[in-house]
Amino acid sequence: MIARHPVQEEELMAYLDGELALDRAATAAAHLEKCRECQSVAGDLQSVSRKLMAWRVESPDDLRMTEAIAVVLEERGRAKEKPAARRGLGWREGLRIPRLPRWVWVGGIAVASLAILVFMSNSFFPVYESKQTPRPMTTAVLEAPAAPATTDSSAELRAGSGTGKLDTQQDKAKVSVITKSGTHSLHAEFGASEIPNRPMIVRTAGLTLITKEFDKARAAMEEILKRHGGYIGQLNVTAPADNGRTLNATLRVPGEQLEAVMSELKKLGRVQAESQSGEEVTQQYMDLEARLANAKNSERRLTDILRERTGKLSDVLEVETQIESVRGEIEQMEAERKNLVHRVDFATLSATLTEEYEGQLHAVPVSTFTRIRNSAVDGYSMLSETVVSVVLFLFSYGPVLLLWAAVLFFPVRFVWRKLRRKVPCRNLM
Amino acid sequence: MLEFQRGSRPAFEELFARYRGPLYGFFRRRLESQERAEDLAQETFLAVIRATARYEPRALVRTYLYGIALKLVAAERRKRQTSRPVAILETEPAIENASDAALWVRQALEKLDAQEREILMLREYEQLSYSEIADLLRLPVNTVRSRLFRSRMALKNYLEGRSQGAVAASGAAGSAEVNPREGEG
Repeated sequence: MIARHPVQEEELMAYLDGELALDRAATAAAHLEKCRECQSVAGDLQSVSRKLMAWRVESPDDLRMTEAIAVVLEERGRAKEKPAARRGLGWREGLRIPRLPRWVWVGGIAVASLAILVFMSNSFFPVYESKQTPRPMTTAVLEAPAAPATTDSSAELRAGSGTGKLDTQQDKAKVSVITKSGTHSLHAEFGASEIPNRPMIVRTAGLTLITKEFDKARAAMEEILKRHGGYIGQLNVTAPADNGRTLNATLRVPGEQLEAVMSELKKLGRVQAESQSGEEVTQQYMDLEARLANAKNSERRLTDILRERTGKLSDVLEVETQIESVRGEIEQMEAERKNLVHRVDFATLSATLTEEYEGQLHAVPVSTFTRIRNSAVDGYSMLSETVVSVVLFLFSYGPVLLLWAAVLFFPVRFVWRKLRRKVPCRNLM
Repeated sequence: MLEFQRGSRPAFEELFARYRGPLYGFFRRRLESQERAEDLAQETFLAVIRATARYEPRALVRTYLYGIALKLVAAERRKRQTSRPVAILETEPAIENASDAALWVRQALEKLDAQEREILMLREYEQLSYSEIADLLRLPVNTVRSRLFRSRMALKNYLEGRSQGAVAASGAAGSAEVNPREGEG
């Protein structure tokens, strides 16, 4: 058929459909007039088309625009009229903030403000309250009765009860005192060679207090000390920047006054630590006294020998030397005895007074201008850093990027053109 | 279409008036339910409105519309397959008040290969040109032409076989129902 017919059957069909190119259409028309076979094929094709037309679909008369279309059209019309207004409203969409009911916003803001308020009051209220109820600390100290001189065991008991009392008063101060005291006024009662009739005890006490009003507590401490006839052996005050001040003092207090001083000091603040100890030195004192008496006897005998006997010069010189050494021993022992007696007379109280630290809010540590200036400097350095980084990146990766661009340019262009050719079909939907 | 793109509502109304019938027919021949056909015809126009901004006048409006319609039909069929697989048996384009000839045509079309059927239907019922069909189905024009020819020939054979069978049946059993309508085909 193909050999005998100048037009193919498909071309014949295309001719009948009006889809054949003009020159081929003329050939096909000429051939169709002559060729019966082709006329038959054409007849078949036309008959198929006719038969297909039997399947008719009647479109309903009420095929109107639905509400949905009308609404969408309306919206579109409005959108075209007010493009500016739409753009103005677009910030929500831009920021992706969901549309919430107004009460949600109001409620959220109210809750947030309440939370901030509660937080602020929590952090500031306690301070305010303590300022409102200052305790008459100095008065209490002044009114405190002088505790009678007692033995160490009773002193310890008293110290315990004192601590309890202070805790209930919720003092916010801390002092630590270590006292070394001996039995009171023993040296006055027996002479140089007398045996003490009461035990000699060197007393040491420690007290650590925390106070809220450091200056007041310190003044009160000095006042107490003065009133009881004590003195400050040593005193150090440190004031670190981010912490409370601390006072370390070694107080010397008359032995019989130690209890009273301790109980008064404890009222200056909250007791954090307290300690007392006593060292029995009676034996030591008696030994010292005996050695001293012996030394004095030796001195006397040597002096007698020097005075009553005569002999060689060398012997005289030897006796003189002996006397000198014995006198030196005596002086040393007397100094030791004096020191011992003083230690017994004056108890040593190591006191530590710590200020309760309150964190300070540095409201505006740096001025706004300085901060702006700092930010500007940061911004500038960041900008220059970025520029330098970009330049460095271009220098280090530029050649490779160029190479890849050159390699990929033609394939990408080829694909792009191919895609663009397909776009009409793709855009159908 | 371009006028509508610029915001002219009358332009859209004209578009709607011109294509609502053909589009309804397009869906009606491919779907069993008249309601769905109407819905989808409306949906096609909705899609047109929504996609107005993206419209580029690269093809005829007709091709554009049928492109949308084809996608909607494909989506509809997919939906039916997943949701109601049993119902497929009933999903024949219903033909109320239709002649036997139309029934035969429909049955013959059913026997065709899906793509050939689509080409034939687009050509015969939608009156699209070869190149439009090629655009829509993303086929070369020559392929469209050869498949169209093949489908027409196949359909002719089916219809001839059917009519001969019908004639034979009417001749044998003397059926009064089939014979008078046979002439319509």
